[in-house]
Amino acid sequence: MEDLREITTLQATTILISTIIGVGVLPLPLFAVRAGETGAPLVTLFGIGIAAIGLFIITKLGIRHPSKTIITYSEEILGKWLGKVCSIFVIIFFTILTALAAREFGTVVTTSVLIETPLDVTVIVMLVLAAISARNNINVFAYIHNFYVPIILAPVLIVVAVSLKNANILYLRPLIGSDFKEMFFGALTVAALFQGSFIMTLIIPAMKQPKKAMKASIWAILISGGLYLLLVIATVAVFGTEEIKQLFWPTLELARTTSLPGNILQRLDIVFLSVWVTAVFTTIFASYYLTIYSIKQFFRLQDHKMLSYFILPFVYILAMLPEDIFQMYEIIRYVGRIGLSITILYPLFLLILDVLKSKRRKHSESKQV
Amino acid sequence: MSQNKYRAKRIFLLICLLPLLTGCWDSREIEQRATVLAIGIDKAGPGAEEREAEVSHEKGDISIPEENMIEITVQIAIPGRIPLGPQVGAGEKKPVLVVHVVGHTIEDAIYNLQQEIADEIFLGHLRLIVLSEEVAKEGVKRFNDYLRRNPEIRRTASMVVSKEKASKYMEASPELERVPSLYLAEMVDSLVDLGKFPESFIGKFWSIFSSEGQDGYLPYFHIKGKKTIQINGLAYFHGDKMVGKTNPQEIGSFMAGIGAEKGGYPIFTDIPGNKKEIALVQAVKRKTRIKASLKNGKPHVLVKVRYEAKVSEKESPNVKIKKEEDIRALERGFSNAGQRSLSDLIAKTQKAKSDIFGFGEYFRAQFPEYWKQNVETEEGWGNIYENLSYDVEVDTYIRHSGMKDK
Repeated sequence: MEDLREITTLQATTILISTIIGVGVLPLPLFAVRAGETGAPLVTLFGIGIAAIGLFIITKLGIRHPSKTIITYSEEILGKWLGKVCSIFVIIFFTILTALAAREFGTVVTTSVLIETPLDVTVIVMLVLAAISARNNINVFAYIHNFYVPIILAPVLIVVAVSLKNANILYLRPLIGSDFKEMFFGALTVAALFQGSFIMTLIIPAMKQPKKAMKASIWAILISGGLYLLLVIATVAVFGTEEIKQLFWPTLELARTTSLPGNILQRLDIVFLSVWVTAVFTTIFASYYLTIYSIKQFFRLQDHKMLSYFILPFVYILAMLPEDIFQMYEIIRYVGRIGLSITILYPLFLLILDVLKSKRRKHSESKQV
Repeated sequence: MSQNKYRAKRIFLLICLLPLLTGCWDSREIEQRATVLAIGIDKAGPGAEEREAEVSHEKGDISIPEENMIEITVQIAIPGRIPLGPQVGAGEKKPVLVVHVVGHTIEDAIYNLQQEIADEIFLGHLRLIVLSEEVAKEGVKRFNDYLRRNPEIRRTASMVVSKEKASKYMEASPELERVPSLYLAEMVDSLVDLGKFPESFIGKFWSIFSSEGQDGYLPYFHIKGKKTIQINGLAYFHGDKMVGKTNPQEIGSFMAGIGAEKGGYPIFTDIPGNKKEIALVQAVKRKTRIKASLKNGKPHVLVKVRYEAKVSEKESPNVKIKKEEDIRALERGFSNAGQRSLSDLIAKTQKAKSDIFGFGEYFRAQFPEYWKQNVETEEGWGNIYENLSYDVEVDTYIRHSGMKDK
């Protein structure tokens, strides 16, 4: 499969965008406001910055090893055994991430729209959908993401634009709301929402021109980050910080408060939710794919298809572990922060080692000459 | 042979898909829903304790809330009787069912209501919540939790305060629309469109209520005669308690104070030089700038309002509006009247410590240091607002005087 190099730069960008935009959009303003009060947009901006650094590191690594993923080149850089150990962490982390995303999805759906549907059903349906789709090869994977991106972006922008008529700019000031330490931790939580961008490591080996991967990364972080920032600004301007603290999913409330002019649609939340389901699907799909593809490479298997159903029960059980919504968000916060060390610090470490190694190699080569 | 096998596989797959056809888990037919269109909340009269069914608790249970019991009156749409379009000679049957129940909280009362109604209560189409003045004066905080928590309730529903018992509004039958509660809800919406009232849906009220530097306001309704309902002013709050109401004219001033763009209220304006002659000048558009400043550490606001207005009526045939000077004079008259009215309204709300204009938000946003040191809580701002100094400047531009010369 490594030989198929069909993914264009545009496709790589759209994969990243639709992977990044996921369950996180709903509680994002709450996370940001909790950390930064009226400085929420600033917190988000910091978060995007941190996430961007992480994504650029992983892209840089990918460009240096254009036909390998992090699972394979880590063995080259760290040595076989240390590389394997680190890869295990990556795989476990993304399994958990998939499970938590599915669980968060299920929780939102069962509390806000489908009140009588059991949580298990929503979670299973989403996971099965991801598992079936994940049996495809990476090109189909790219097509699916490419197809959904406009559907994900447009309605969010519409909701933001229409809701601005109720906005109060005063709610956004002062720009720096609370002390630096809290804002920093908030930024970490926000950055954790971007962890799906780790999928880049898997796309680069399938790209037509891996050299252009950086361009894709920059565009992806600009678009998805811009959208997140817009959402935070809009929700804070409409609700004010104090009201947001009372809501689990401010973004959903934003859609509920917004009606299209002229009574075409009196509430937009249903439209918004159905779009959001798509966004969640692409995210879970990507992290699921990343998980099984990594397992495949870890064991040097030929095919990832059978793994797709094999890990389904594990993901499902993990998803059902949190007892309630408060515990779930607690876990999401911790897992997110720990995850940053896997998605940012670990690649950074690899990159530094890699650069040092190649320098030494050049050094010795030039000595030989 | 292999063809057959393939077909068998396909049929098996189709059978597997069959259960999915049943559709949505939560599906409930519209006739099986008791769609609540409006809720009126009153204080329950004496003896309510006895009238309450023992649904959520037994009588005399000590852990029940201490607040006064409430009586809620709901309008439930009767399936099939809500006309979808204009109907000629519609029947006499009422399209809604009105039910009264008592309870300690809203949810408690709704449970009691469910006990009396066969279909599941559905609040997704709730358009209007009427609070009687009595209830509003005791505080609305106790209702917020339920209304926010319940996913069915729209944030765009309207909430109004009523002079009479809220139950009367549920039983009133205005003739312009078949469904009374829809008429009331439409009324709130169209008042906003006409520039008669600022946006005031329930989500907005909550945002303002939560914010530290502003107090909430709601439309204040009054039943006139038997069938018509009038918007009689604006109920203003301090914290969660209603502390007073304005007259309808002052709504216009209030809208000038918060900078609502659309104007809708007329003012009788003296025509200078002719002491007894007046003309009716109506605000069309306004633009408001509020400047908050600290003078020697004391907060001060400057409210600058720019009106665009039109002459809509001049009663007396003796005076003429002909020259430019006449218009200038009218503009001056309108400005003075507007300035006076807005100043009076600010003074009135200051007495009640109710900053419905949200001046506090300007200080919170622009002087965070001052805010942290002196205010911190909303109670603090109320006390400062009471003694806030302010200046009001009004400019008026009259562009139109209608079809009539002179």
